[in-house]
Amino acid sequence: MNPLRAKALVIDIPGRGDGQPLDFTVEPGQMWGVLGPNGAGKTTLLHTLAGLRAPRHGEVHLGEHSLTELRRRQISQQLGLVFQERQDGFPATVLETALIGRHPWLSPWQMESGDDERIARQALEQLDVAHLSDRLVNTLSGGERQRVAIATVLTQAPDTWLLDEPTNHLDMHHQVSVLQLLTDQARAGRSVFMCLHDLNLAARWCDHLLLLYPNGDACWGPAEQMLVPQALERLYDQKLITVEADGAPVFVPVKS
Amino acid sequence: MSRPLLKPLLILALASLAAMVLSVGTGSVSVAPGQVLAVLLGEGSNLQQTLVLELRLPRTLSAFATGGLLAVAGALMQVLLRNPLADPYVLGLSGGAAVGALLAMLAGLGGLIISGSAFAGALLATLMVFGLAHGTGSWTPSRLLLTGVVVAAGWGAVITLMLAISPAQRLPGMLYWLMGDVSYARSPWPALGFLLLVCLLVVPLGRSLNVLARGPMQAAALGVAVRPLEWTIYILASLLTATAVTMAGSIGFVGLVVPHMLRLVLGNDQRLILPACALAGGTLLVLADTLARVVIAPEQLPVGVITALLGVPTFLYLLYRSR
Amino acid sequence: MLNVSRRLTIIGAAVLALWQTPVVAEVCAVDDTGKEVCLEQPASRIAALSPGATELVWAAGAGEKVVAVVSFSDYPEAATNVPSVGSHTRMDMERLMELQPDLVIGWVTGNPPEQLEALADLGLPVFSIEPRTFEAVSHTIERLATLAGTEEEGFAEAERFRRGIAKLERQYRNAEPVPVFYQVWDEPMMTVNDEHLIGKVITLCGGVNVFGDLDRLVPRISAEAVIGANPEAILAGGMGEENRHWLTRWEAFPGIEATAKDNLYFIPPSLVQRPTPRMLEGSQLFCRKLDNARAKR
Repeated sequence: MNPLRAKALVIDIPGRGDGQPLDFTVEPGQMWGVLGPNGAGKTTLLHTLAGLRAPRHGEVHLGEHSLTELRRRQISQQLGLVFQERQDGFPATVLETALIGRHPWLSPWQMESGDDERIARQALEQLDVAHLSDRLVNTLSGGERQRVAIATVLTQAPDTWLLDEPTNHLDMHHQVSVLQLLTDQARAGRSVFMCLHDLNLAARWCDHLLLLYPNGDACWGPAEQMLVPQALERLYDQKLITVEADGAPVFVPVKS
Repeated sequence: MSRPLLKPLLILALASLAAMVLSVGTGSVSVAPGQVLAVLLGEGSNLQQTLVLELRLPRTLSAFATGGLLAVAGALMQVLLRNPLADPYVLGLSGGAAVGALLAMLAGLGGLIISGSAFAGALLATLMVFGLAHGTGSWTPSRLLLTGVVVAAGWGAVITLMLAISPAQRLPGMLYWLMGDVSYARSPWPALGFLLLVCLLVVPLGRSLNVLARGPMQAAALGVAVRPLEWTIYILASLLTATAVTMAGSIGFVGLVVPHMLRLVLGNDQRLILPACALAGGTLLVLADTLARVVIAPEQLPVGVITALLGVPTFLYLLYRSR
Repeated sequence: MLNVSRRLTIIGAAVLALWQTPVVAEVCAVDDTGKEVCLEQPASRIAALSPGATELVWAAGAGEKVVAVVSFSDYPEAATNVPSVGSHTRMDMERLMELQPDLVIGWVTGNPPEQLEALADLGLPVFSIEPRTFEAVSHTIERLATLAGTEEEGFAEAERFRRGIAKLERQYRNAEPVPVFYQVWDEPMMTVNDEHLIGKVITLCGGVNVFGDLDRLVPRISAEAVIGANPEAILAGGMGEENRHWLTRWEAFPGIEATAKDNLYFIPPSLVQRPTPRMLEGSQLFCRKLDNARAKR
């Protein structure tokens, strides 16, 4: 697979200084988490990495090639993105929604085949929404819609997953099963890069972390090096108590 | 997946055929169905041949082409703007095309130049609604509609102005730009050909349109080249509207009613919806025009009156439900 | 109905006729678009596509040959019994074809050109008229009489009209001028300029149209413009006959000379608003009203 690489990347957030240019590679098998307070630019970073927004400086590479040299179709065969916000202009069923994940793989004249439908149904099964196949997406709950969105990218089957708050709206059981599914993807040689607002989920599931500060500063590296209480307290501007449970650190906010 | 697409299209095609038979068989002069058939087979009296072959058939086919063009244009606009209320008439495309065509007519130009000018008008109208409604933010339905309605009203004023200053002998021919009418339509064949071409063209684009209907970011993430596709739709919708308007003036609401009804029944797969719109839009206008011809015969109603009477309640219902 | 080959034969015959002495019983006339219309034989089934055309065909003596009229063709009385083919702006082509006319009298500025062209394409001879002068009224009657083969009656009527107008012209040539405002319509308020046939009636009777110089044939004006122009006489038609309603509004403006002198006159619109022989009667009435106004000086 072609690893996703940020090269001296400065994301474009109007009215903010350049800060620390980002230089990192998301290698196969890695599971990255992006942490940062509201407004730090996590979503902008994700969209820039997906080539949906132009960076202010620097480049994003997919293997050998800069994203700007690739066609959208080629990018979408390697890179999948789960959005935080979704539009529902027209009603569509759950199965139809998952099936559009096959779009990058079909030629213009091709109709979706039985195989494509099987892939989509499997993805829905894995996210525990198969029983909703014929329901209209806009009639579902927030958590169900979140899982349908993840199933769509699972149908797309990209090498690199980008996810914007994938655990939003999910109950604890489904949070864990989604993170487990992503871990399985990473184990199978793909890579995962996601924004998370839950520090503890990141600490528990990610092997690499990127801390994004509101002023544009950033640091990144293996999770155990990043989970330094002082750095995290500065990141969220919040005093934390660190405890250890099941071999992983757990951060609890201090009551003021 | 191709089997389920074919069946509804087949049913719609049969309905179109039935509507056309009804239309050709109906008129202020009664010609029995058997005689219509005889005429179509090359028999029948001289008068019957003139009535059926030279008056009714071209008019029926023109109505069909116009309705199909407008419905497909409406469906494309709705995908483009991700809003089921978009319609070439409501958003002022028809008005822009009418102004373009009238300008060419006032300048004494004819034929292809009128069509080209109508196309330029439609293009300009879309660009204005697009640009103005977008502004700094995104397209909210209310913002889009307000812009469209105001721009359409502006075109209406320009048309009225041009009618007021144009020489008297041009007036009767120009009035129908305000309220569409197929009774002046000449040869239906170029428009029918164009409609067929567009239907074939949108089949390979169909899945991309399905993805685009979910938002430009989502579409780009799934490999759709969003900008080129949006421009293609925009130009196609303008061309379709301009062709319909040069043929029959600004007929309203076909592009709103037809796609809406079809989506309720057939879902929202553009590969099905777009050809279905061509058939159902054509059928609707053929039926509306048949009604317009006979309801107060020998006085003839402009077909735009009938479509507006159908379209306005549908529009209001959609607006009410979107709140 | 004429098919293409027959039309070609006619054209061929017409060309031959230019070279030789005419041998066929063909009738020809040039219409107001400059097109020559020729019929193999005088028309026997005429479709008149405006109320004015209907009156003119009757004036030409061919009334009983009219098989189709349009809405509002209410004169003469007999015209109301002829089948209508709808409004002059949107005709029912089917009904028209069913009535199988062999001559269609079109209205240059009133009928949609698309429909007239379509009729011509269907092989019907279309003779389009647009009389803009008194002489044109007579000339149109003569041409229609020629096409219908009713020359005797038609030419006599044309001459009667011509003489009547000429007589008025002699009578009022040196009459004292009266500033006149003629109101065609109330809301919106419309008048006519000097080019309009009604404007010519004003001039004929020694009146001076206060809005005669305006560019448009039927200009829209404001009440203020009328007050500013201060006409000595105001003449108006109205919706329907014997309806003085439009004149009463001027009674509120005693500053206008016409109001001060009570020179507000009703003219039945059907007598002046159609370019037909009835204009003679209308003109005579019009001139008498202006005489009344002069008498009040």
